[in-house]
Amino acid sequence: MSFIEIKDLHKTFADKNKSNLVLNGIDLSVEKGDIFGIVGFSGAGKSTLVRCINRLEEPDSGSVVIGGVDITALSKKELALERRKIGMIFQSFNLFESKTVWQNIAYPLRLEKMKKKDIEARVSEVLSLIGLEDKRNAYPGELSGGQKQRVGIGRTLANSPDVILCDEATSALDPQTTISVLDLLKEINQKLGVTILLITHELEAIKYICRNMAVIENGVIIEQGLVSGIFQNPNSKTGKIFIDVYSSFQNKEYYGEGEGI
Amino acid sequence: MSLRSNTLWEVLKSAFSQRVWEQVWPAVGDTLYMVAVSALITLVLGVILGVLLYITPRGGICPAPWFNRVAGTIVNCLRSLPQMIMIIVTLPLARAVLGKGYGSGACIIALAASCTPMFGRMAESALTEVSKGKLEAAKAMGSSTLQIIFMVLLPEALASLTRAFTTALIAIVSMTALAGSFGAGGIGDIAVRYGFQRFQHDMLIATVLVLIVIVQIIQVAGDVVSRTLLKKWKLI
Ligand SMILES: Nc1ncnc2c1ncn2[C@@H]1O[C@H](COP(=O)(O)OP(=O)(O)O)[C@@H](O)[C@H]1O
Ligand SMILES: [Mg+2]
Repeated sequence: MSFIEIKDLHKTFADKNKSNLVLNGIDLSVEKGDIFGIVGFSGAGKSTLVRCINRLEEPDSGSVVIGGVDITALSKKELALERRKIGMIFQSFNLFESKTVWQNIAYPLRLEKMKKKDIEARVSEVLSLIGLEDKRNAYPGELSGGQKQRVGIGRTLANSPDVILCDEATSALDPQTTISVLDLLKEINQKLGVTILLITHELEAIKYICRNMAVIENGVIIEQGLVSGIFQNPNSKTGKIFIDVYSSFQNKEYYGEGEGI
Repeated sequence: MSLRSNTLWEVLKSAFSQRVWEQVWPAVGDTLYMVAVSALITLVLGVILGVLLYITPRGGICPAPWFNRVAGTIVNCLRSLPQMIMIIVTLPLARAVLGKGYGSGACIIALAASCTPMFGRMAESALTEVSKGKLEAAKAMGSSTLQIIFMVLLPEALASLTRAFTTALIAIVSMTALAGSFGAGGIGDIAVRYGFQRFQHDMLIATVLVLIVIVQIIQVAGDVVSRTLLKKWKLI
C-alpha cells in the first residue's frame, strides 16, 4: 500500500441555488518519500483536494489514508493530533505577523507543550536548515516573499512531519526565489525523507522537483505517472495544453536570448 | 460664578480658581474610579463576547449557529437602548444586587451593561480583520479551538482590539458623565448640579476641561499603543 491513498474522494460546494461538484471521485496514491506534483487549471479543484487531505475541508465521501491512518475516519481530537504530522504551506504564507520568525517556528512545538529548552534546540535546528539563523528575531513584516515561505516551511518542519502539502507554495514568488524554495523542498525531501505533495498551476515547478505527477481536470485525475513520461507524451487534453504552453515559453526564452533585445 | 452676572473673562479665570477645583478634583477621582472599574469589566466581558460572536457563526472556527443567532439578537437589543434608558433600566438591578440604586456601584452596572455589547461588536469586527489563512494554518498544524483563540486570534488582532477599546473607553467616559445626573456622582454630577441647576458656569467650564483632557489622554494613549505594536511588527 502506498503512503498516501486517496480513494473515490467527492466534494460538492452547495450554494443556495446551485451546487458545484468540485471533486468527482479522486483516486490517487503517492509513495513514501516521493515528491508528487498535481497540475491543473485554475478552478480545477486542486486546493479543494489538498484541503480535503487534512480535512480543512470535509470531503462528502471517499477516503484519505496516510501512513495507514484513515484521516477521514478520525474524531476531531484525533484529527488535531494527526495534523501535527501533516505539514502544509500556502501561497500566501499565512505566517503569524505578531510573532517573530522564532516564535512562528516554535508555535507547533508549543502546541505539544514541549519544554522550553527542547523548543530552543529544535527551532535553532530548523533555522539552520532553512538558512534563516540571522532572521530569528525578525517579524514576518520585514521579510521578503522567499524568506516568508522559508519560515512557512520551517514552521511545518518543526514537528518533523511525514508529509508536507504545498498549495501553490511558489506561485507568489519570482522565478529565482521559486527555484531557491523548490531547492529547499528538495533538500528536505532528501535529508529527512518527507513525502511532498506539490499542487500548482506552474508546470516548471513540477518539472523541476517532482518525480511523479498527476493532472486534474473537472474534479478527476485524468492522467498520472512519471513526470518524464507525461512530458514526452501527454494523453489528456489538459496535459497537452500545459506541455504546449510550457514548451512555447521555453522557446520564447531561447529566442529572446538569441536576438539579444 | 455665572455668565449672567459676570463677564466671560471673569468666569474663565474663576474656572481655574482654587474654590472651583476643590470641588472638581474629588469628582474627577470618582469619575476615574467608575471609568476604571467599568472599563475593566467591559474589556473582559466584551472580549469574551466578541470572541464568541466571531467563532460561532456557520463556517466559523467553532460553529454554533443557533447560539450565534441568540447572542447576536440579545446584543442588538441591548445596543438599541440609548445610554440614558439603559441607566434607568439597570437601576432596579443595581438596587437588587447592591442594595441601592444610586452611587458609583449602580453606575458601574449600567455602564458595563451598556458598553459590553458595544465593545463586544467592536471586538468581533477587530477579530474579523485577522486573515482566515492564519487560522487555517493554525488548524492545519493541529491547534485546538482554544489554542487558536489564545495563541493566534487574539495576539494577531491585538492592535485593532486596542483601537476598538480606545473608542469604547471614550464612550464609557461620556456615559459616566451622563450617569452623574442620575445620582452616580463624579464630573457629570458637578456639571448638572452646579453648571446647569445653579448657573455656576465656572464649574461647568472646569468639568468640560476635565472631560476634554481625559478623552485626549485616552485617545493618544490608545493610538500610541496600537501604532507601537504595528511598528514593532513592521506592518507600518
Ligand atoms: N469554500 C468554498 N465554497 C464554495 N465554493 C468553493 C469553495 N472553495 C472552492 N470553491 C469552488 O471550487 C472550485 C475549485 O476551487 P479550487 O479547489 O480552489 O481550485 P484550484 O485550486 O484548482 O484553482 C471553484 O469553482 C471554486 O469556486
Ligand atoms: Mg488553488
